[in-house]
Amino acid sequence: MGVSLQYAWLIPTLPFLAFVLITLTPVRRNHRASAWLATGLMIVASILALAVLFETAQGVRIAANGSVELVALESPAGENIGAERFQAPEANIVQTFRWAPAGDSIITMGYLIDPVVALLLAMVTVASSCIHLFSIGYMADDPRRARFFSFIALFSAAMLLMLMASNLILLFIAWELMGLCSYLLIGFWFDRGYADPQQITPRAAAIKAFITTRIGDVLLMIGLCYLWFKAGSLDLGIQAGQVFDSEFLRRIGQEAGPFGLTTATAIALLLFCGTIGKSAQVPLHIWLPDAMEGPTPVSALIHAATMVAAGVFLVIRTYPIFVASQALPIVAAIGAFTALFAALIAVGQFDIKRILAYSTISQLGFMVAALGIGGWTVALFHLLTHAFFKALLFLGAGSVIHGMEATIGHDPNRAQDIRNMGGLRRFMPTTFLTYMVGYLSLVGIVPFAGFWSKDEILAESLLTGNFLVLIVLLLASLLTAFYMTRQILLVFYGPFRSAALVHGETSPEHGHAGSEPHESPATMTIPLILLALFATGAGLLNLPGIHWLSSFLGQPVHAFNPIAAGLGTLVALIGIGLGIAYYRRAFTTENERDPLDMQIPGVFAWLNGRFFVDQLYAASIGRLTLALEVFSSTIDRIIDRVVIGFDRLTTFLGRVNYIVDDTLLNDGADQIVRGATIGGNGASRLETGKAQDYLAIVFAGMLVLGVVSLYLLGR
Amino acid sequence: MTSIVSAVPLSWVLIVAGALFCIGLFGALTRRNIVGMLLGIELMLNAVNINLVAFWRYLEPQLVAGQVFALFVVVVAAAEAAVGLAMAISIYRSRNTVNADEVGLLRG
Repeated sequence: MGVSLQYAWLIPTLPFLAFVLITLTPVRRNHRASAWLATGLMIVASILALAVLFETAQGVRIAANGSVELVALESPAGENIGAERFQAPEANIVQTFRWAPAGDSIITMGYLIDPVVALLLAMVTVASSCIHLFSIGYMADDPRRARFFSFIALFSAAMLLMLMASNLILLFIAWELMGLCSYLLIGFWFDRGYADPQQITPRAAAIKAFITTRIGDVLLMIGLCYLWFKAGSLDLGIQAGQVFDSEFLRRIGQEAGPFGLTTATAIALLLFCGTIGKSAQVPLHIWLPDAMEGPTPVSALIHAATMVAAGVFLVIRTYPIFVASQALPIVAAIGAFTALFAALIAVGQFDIKRILAYSTISQLGFMVAALGIGGWTVALFHLLTHAFFKALLFLGAGSVIHGMEATIGHDPNRAQDIRNMGGLRRFMPTTFLTYMVGYLSLVGIVPFAGFWSKDEILAESLLTGNFLVLIVLLLASLLTAFYMTRQILLVFYGPFRSAALVHGETSPEHGHAGSEPHESPATMTIPLILLALFATGAGLLNLPGIHWLSSFLGQPVHAFNPIAAGLGTLVALIGIGLGIAYYRRAFTTENERDPLDMQIPGVFAWLNGRFFVDQLYAASIGRLTLALEVFSSTIDRIIDRVVIGFDRLTTFLGRVNYIVDDTLLNDGADQIVRGATIGGNGASRLETGKAQDYLAIVFAGMLVLGVVSLYLLGR
Repeated sequence: MTSIVSAVPLSWVLIVAGALFCIGLFGALTRRNIVGMLLGIELMLNAVNINLVAFWRYLEPQLVAGQVFALFVVVVAAAEAAVGLAMAISIYRSRNTVNADEVGLLRG
């Protein structure tokens, strides 16, 4: 009883151990061993996480003194509508140790498990294990795959650490570590270049991701500093001196802060900026589509299931602050806008992975909007279901690409373009079926998981009276159904548009191309099937009537709202119908344009061009930065000139000094010496050595003396 | 008999002594031979002697000091001549020359 909770610290340690072993020991030379080591340790971690979830579901609670008790999980009465009814779940176990002194207080580090954390631990570990397994097959040809596995192991460790952090500092450390791993993994194929200079390379995409999320992270850090300054510590908890102390929350909710906001609003907005960066909300969403330059398992793990969910998790974690502030409407607005914006862009994309990337951004917008209107339970629910079906969709896309590479070759621009695909359900049936499950889940068709979670978000917005959010989200759902149907029809149905390459009529570019697309190996299809099961069954978590999730989290329940469900299904069906109508017979010849492109070319150009946000940023902020660079380099050059001026002055003075020294002193001394020598030489001529000369001198001297004494002195 | 004091004025004797001194000086300064230099020096000493004796006889003939002084000078001259000649012989023995120009060892 409670054993796995006490050993929960092993969960992030095991993948970290995999990272250390693969990076620092000769294991890295054996790629197979590295891959299976990482996967094996991850599977063990997921077993442990499931045990933790099991124990948490039983209501095991371990207090600070080590006593174990069972607490019944139940939902309190009343409708869970809106943020006013927010009640944080209580922690099941908190283990901390003193880490560093800071002023009068001590920073502690450790882990904290509560129902939210237990659920997410289970989800992250299971998804990560599936993706580790998938990568073994997907990366089989890559000469550097040991490095890949060390990185995704490190990433998993960082994500799990973040989930379990008992302290916002530790959470932030793990957050940054995840950002680092994202950079390393997006730029995994760092030596890949493209012919078109406008197209972003993996190296540039990695830098872009890191810098864009950095903007959010800096604001997050400022928010954490502000919070620490106000609260005195960053420990999570409701006791005094910790962040969620009700007295503290009430104080900051009323205190006036900067720019006319309350302190709580300021802190909440700054924390939310971290979410905007990490969870790719507008305006910092630009990194996620370009992050598709990384390998597909990376896109599945990081940019669908886990890292992007970290932003949502941050808000959930610090939700008491958001509740005490007035920032929630802004959160909802950004979320809803992002959902619609990204869904529009997804309609105009041709790269299979980019469609899914924009879909991820859109679904994250759903989650953030749900948080904004007060439904953090439904946001969490959607996060869980989305993780599964989005990972499934990405892995399915990876499987599709893997199959396409057999035909087209390893040129990613062509292997990932849906205009080159078609009819793949005949060649890759397992991939097709699992992809359909993911598709139906995303679009929100009963009884798949996505239906339940999306329905709850719509219901929440309806019942709290946020009709604008409801309408925006319904529009986004319609577009979601539309573009996903488009994708399905163009990828899996119709004729196989690259058939010419199979029979050798036109030659492919690279690799072992020219054969028919084949189904992927078992290491790739088994995770797909597993995730499909989860995508189907995850809806059971919060089925109306049972509401296991709500009771698990200790939150009051929703009643099932048939209006919201009906609206949701209706727009989904409309979207599917429109999709089929437009794309059933699209691209039947080689060079046909997209039917939307033919009908509304102006709008389609904007959608395909992603609303030119990147270009806008380059023109504005890019130019500003370049202007700053010019300014700085001008100042630099001025300083250079000053320094050179000093140098010339010093050289000149040196020369003057030399002249003075040399001419005046040196030559002067020389002349004196010469004079003395001449004088000496002259004087020495008196010394003839002849006695008679000396005698003559004596006589002369005597004469002088005589004259002087007789005539001059005698007077 | 008239004495020499009244027949010859003092100045004449002094002039003779002076001339003799100058001749002796000239000889001492210009002769190349060491012995010649010594002769010149002897001349100078004799001139001095004449001077002394003249002054004694003409001015204070009753004082014996004049004669004694002249005697002293003669003795000194003799001693000095002996030493000088000894040096000349010594120089000749070592350098095989009596030419004063060739003994310029003190030349600087």
